[in-house]
Amino acid sequence: MALFLAYDPATNPLNTNEWAFPVCEVMHIVGFATLIGTITMVDLRLLGVGIKKASAAELLRDTAPWTLFGLALVLISGPLIFSSDPNLYLANPSFRFKITTLVIAIIYNYTIHRKVARSQDPGGFGKLVAIVSMALWASLVFAGIFIAFV
Amino acid sequence: MFDWLQGMAIATAIRESALVYPILLSLHLTGMALFGGMILMTDLRLLGIAMTKRSVSDVVGGLRPWKHLGLTMVVICGALLAWSKIALYWPNPYFKLKLILLTLVTIHALVFRNSVYRNPELDRTGIPGSAKFAAVLSLVLWIGLVSAGRWIGYWEPEKEKTTAVQIR
Repeated sequence: MALFLAYDPATNPLNTNEWAFPVCEVMHIVGFATLIGTITMVDLRLLGVGIKKASAAELLRDTAPWTLFGLALVLISGPLIFSSDPNLYLANPSFRFKITTLVIAIIYNYTIHRKVARSQDPGGFGKLVAIVSMALWASLVFAGIFIAFV
Repeated sequence: MFDWLQGMAIATAIRESALVYPILLSLHLTGMALFGGMILMTDLRLLGIAMTKRSVSDVVGGLRPWKHLGLTMVVICGALLAWSKIALYWPNPYFKLKLILLTLVTIHALVFRNSVYRNPELDRTGIPGSAKFAAVLSLVLWIGLVSAGRWIGYWEPEKEKTTAVQIR
């Protein structure tokens, strides 16, 4: 705790090195593109489009390691970006919304979404689950951008 | 010239609205999420790293319309964003780099279109070295494009730097 209180963002390499911050941002973008792109592949299949030759369950199995890889990239780069100015982010309503939505989206993805995608016949409920999934992940992108505009 | 271009009514509306600019930027990145993730999966499939249980044509063909949708979102929103502040963006070397990379990815898509991305033969013959080269090149170009996009925000024109010093 004392360590945390003594933390001075000015000493953070992200604020002293010209390259560090944009490199983290690129990592964040590549990470969320991988994360959201692969989840959307499963969502599209639940909606009856996309790679129709495979089932949602099969696509989930194919993409799961890459979804996790994307999630790892955002969960490494995100906290690094946050560390550049924690007080600024904590006070930002869009950031708070983003973190809340992120927790919901991750839990949703690994519980309801996974269960439905793996089920024999996801049907109409599968479509609803897919739409909610896409809405959750898209709202995270919006919340991320709006951090700089609120 | 650029002042005239960005002085047009739509460009002014985008630039001056508190909401339109960030919404377009969000859609630009949402399109990237849709499109970027699928490009990665397509290229990794060609490299034999991901989706190996699916045939190349199933992956490439099944994702194509959605990649096109994402790309359309990215390009339209990106063009509107650039147009609204073109006098600011044009002198930026990273903006020009981004345009060059955009031209290169277009050439890449055209060059490898028939031999790789629309070639059903790959399912029978296996993936030749040229297709793997196309996949690596695609990844390099796209990550370069994203990087150039981010670096746009960190470049300052010399004139403004001087002004900042003078103010201090």
